Amino acid sequence: MVTAAHELKAPLALVRQLSLTLEQGSVTPAERERMLRQIVLVSERALRLTTDLSRSSRLQDSLFELEPLNPQQICEEVAHELTPLYKARGREIHVTSRYRPMLVVANRDLLRRIMLNFGDNALHYGDEGAPVELRAGVREDGARIRLGVRDYGPAVPIDMWQQLQSHLGSSTQVLHARPQSSGLGLYVAGRFAEAMQGKIGATRHRDGATFYVDLTASTQMSLL
Amino acid sequence: MTKTPYVLIVEDDDWLAEQHIRTLSAAGIRAEYVPHALAAIDAIDNNVPDAIVLDVLLAGPNAFTLLHELQSHADLASIPVILCTNSADQLADEDVVAYGVRRVLDKAIMVPGDLVAAIKKVLP
Repeated sequence: MVTAAHELKAPLALVRQLSLTLEQGSVTPAERERMLRQIVLVSERALRLTTDLSRSSRLQDSLFELEPLNPQQICEEVAHELTPLYKARGREIHVTSRYRPMLVVANRDLLRRIMLNFGDNALHYGDEGAPVELRAGVREDGARIRLGVRDYGPAVPIDMWQQLQSHLGSSTQVLHARPQSSGLGLYVAGRFAEAMQGKIGATRHRDGATFYVDLTASTQMSLL
Repeated sequence: MTKTPYVLIVEDDDWLAEQHIRTLSAAGIRAEYVPHALAAIDAIDNNVPDAIVLDVLLAGPNAFTLLHELQSHADLASIPVILCTNSADQLADEDVVAYGVRRVLDKAIMVPGDLVAAIKKVLP
C-alpha cells in the first residue's frame, strides 16, 4: 500500500506542477498545448497503474479465460497504445516482425497489461534516439512463447542487476538502478503472468535490457 | 552588470525538468538539466553551477553518490544543493545537511514559486 502510494506520487506531483503553471496563465499557446498533452499522458499512465492494482487484487476471485492468441498482434496493439506517450517524449516504439508466429495461450487483457507495464518501464531507460522493440518468439523447447520488450541504453551495473533480478516480480520495491521503472508495475506483471501459468524475467545486455514474459505455446496452428 | 545565476537540475523525469526550467527561466534564472548523476558530474566539470536542484532516486547512482562526489572536491563542496524529491518525508534535514544540502523541497506539495524562492535563498 505504501509502495503504491509512493509510485502514484510522481505522476500526480507532475500533473499538479503543470496545472499550477497553467493556472498562472503565463505560458504561450504552444506551451499550453504541450503541457495539456503531458497532463493527459501522465494521467493515463497513472490510471493504468491503478487499474492494474485493482485487477491484481481481484486475481484470486476471478476466472480468466485463456485462449490462443497471436503474440505478434498483442505486441502491435501495445505498441499502438504506447505510441502517443513515446512520441510525446521524442522516443520510438515498434514491433520486430516475425512471419507467422506461433500462438500463445493467454488472457488477452492480462497479457496486454504485462506488455504495457514493460513498455512503460522501457520508456525511461533507452538512449535518446534509440527505439524500444517489442518482439515475440518461440523458446528452444517449442513449448513456450516469449514476449519481450527490449530497450537500448547504458548497461545496469552487475550488482544492481543482481538486486533487480532477485526482486523482479516478487517485491513491490522501486528498482534502484531504474527508479522510474515501476517496481509495483513489475510486481503486478509477475502476478498476471502467474495467473496464466507463466513467469516474467529480465535479460541484461551490454547495451540495455529485455523484460519478458514466458507463456505456454498453443498447439493450434495460426491462420493469421 | 549582474551575472545571471546558473542552476543545474538533475532530474530523470524530463517533463518535470522542463517544467522546472520554465519556472526558473521566467524568474530570470538560467537552468539546464541532466537525467542522472554521471551526466551531472560531466556537466559540472564543464560549467560549475551556482546551485544544484537534485532529485534523489535517479537511474544508476543515486543523489547521495553525487553528493559524496561533490563533497570530496574542495572547489565543488560549497555548491548549494536543493533536494527536490517525492521522498522528502523520509529525509531529515539534519541527515542531509552534512552532504551540502541547503533545502529539501517536497515535489508533492511544493508550488512552482517555491523552487525560485529556495534558489534565491541559497545563491551566494
